[in-house]
Amino acid sequence: MRSWASLEDFEAFLDEGGIVEPADDMPDEYRAEVFRFIEMHANSELMGGLTERDFIPRAPGMRRKLAVLAKTQDEIGHAHLLYMVAADLGIKTRDQMLEDLLAGRTKFHNVFHYKCETWADQVAIAYLVDAAALTTQQAVFKECSYGPYKRILRRIIAEEGFHMRQGEEMLLTLADGTAAQHSMFQQALERWWWPVMHFFGPPSKAHDKLLRWHIKSAGNEELRDRYVQKFVPLLKEYGFEIPDPELRHEGGRWLIGDIDWEPLLATQRNVGPDSARRIATARTAWEEAAWVRRALDAAAPRAGAAA
Amino acid sequence: MSTATRSELEARARAAAAAVEDPEFPRVTVEHLGMLQAVRVDEGAGEVEVDLLPTFLGCPALDVIAADVRAALTGLSGVRRVQVAFVSEPVWTPQRITPEGRRRLAAEFTVAVPGSLGAPPCPVCSSGAVEPRSPFGPTACRAIAYCPDCRNPVEVIRR
Repeated sequence: MRSWASLEDFEAFLDEGGIVEPADDMPDEYRAEVFRFIEMHANSELMGGLTERDFIPRAPGMRRKLAVLAKTQDEIGHAHLLYMVAADLGIKTRDQMLEDLLAGRTKFHNVFHYKCETWADQVAIAYLVDAAALTTQQAVFKECSYGPYKRILRRIIAEEGFHMRQGEEMLLTLADGTAAQHSMFQQALERWWWPVMHFFGPPSKAHDKLLRWHIKSAGNEELRDRYVQKFVPLLKEYGFEIPDPELRHEGGRWLIGDIDWEPLLATQRNVGPDSARRIATARTAWEEAAWVRRALDAAAPRAGAAA
Repeated sequence: MSTATRSELEARARAAAAAVEDPEFPRVTVEHLGMLQAVRVDEGAGEVEVDLLPTFLGCPALDVIAADVRAALTGLSGVRRVQVAFVSEPVWTPQRITPEGRRRLAAEFTVAVPGSLGAPPCPVCSSGAVEPRSPFGPTACRAIAYCPDCRNPVEVIRR
């Protein structure tokens, strides 16, 4: 176990690229900040997995079903790993985190507070939302100072890369498809573009602790811009129209219009367009699977041998 | 057609197929994973046939792996036709993962490969055995475990 005499010493350690391990005597503020960040990530993976799950029976064709099935398992597996890391920080148990999430007391990513109307929404999530998540995760991984989280992010990023490939293939099917398919994605894009812009968060403050303590490596504004520069030209190339009348190309860069932050604030209070239904769905999934958890607990010694 | 040239093309084809990476584990190849079962070359016809062993049936990455192998071979000079097939004999087990594959999975992804006996050592701190936590990890082929020594959740390739 390592310890630091002062917060300044600890920050100097982080600035030199030091990696904090669970047994270290880290400053309480750092522990709290890392915990809050990972709990939110874990909640979002779980809520994202449930969104994917809704589309297993609705996915067109066997290959798409397999892909959605795999993504569901992927997100739930990530949630499981992240809740383990978060619980290990000793602030809340895994059950407390789940109770808080299912009671609507904690947050999850804004993109999981919206309704999915059609298959094209699922494609928008697989392509646009996942790419936004990957952009932020890569930026966290780059400098992440908390060891166990950094190790999980390494795997999450590799897996998201694979899912992005599947997402791109699904998008191309709609983009190169019939007029109805093309228009179905255009409509989904109109629903998802601004939530994706919100996803990166409001401009980071100069004294953002997540940046100071090397949990994030880039500010929200910078990451949003990175995303816009990459995805605006791609979407235009596929013949889609970005629902932003102020979008313009100046000095070789794409600039988006002013962002209305009200919808993001609503999702953060769990009163977004679909928040109540999403949380109720998660609660039902948790309650209906109680017998599985009891059965697994009862068989715990043998479950050990299976892994 | 001389034996020398045939084996030369065969060697190139084998190397190209072997270098194809797992879509979820960059830098870990199908050869590291023990998935490359056979490469057959018919030089006269410019035909290459590759047999791959699926790690897990129903793995959603199989199509992508087959497409990547096909693409890697199609670019070779002297190759006109490529056939990639998944075969079910012999049955794939984690024992087929090579020492280099194990090293990369542990060092880069903190994923452990079980040996023939019991739980594998922790891929983070190499201490004794990790504790199983869930047979269901983020993919069909991985379980979740926890190292009580370094307190890292890790993943273990399932048998």
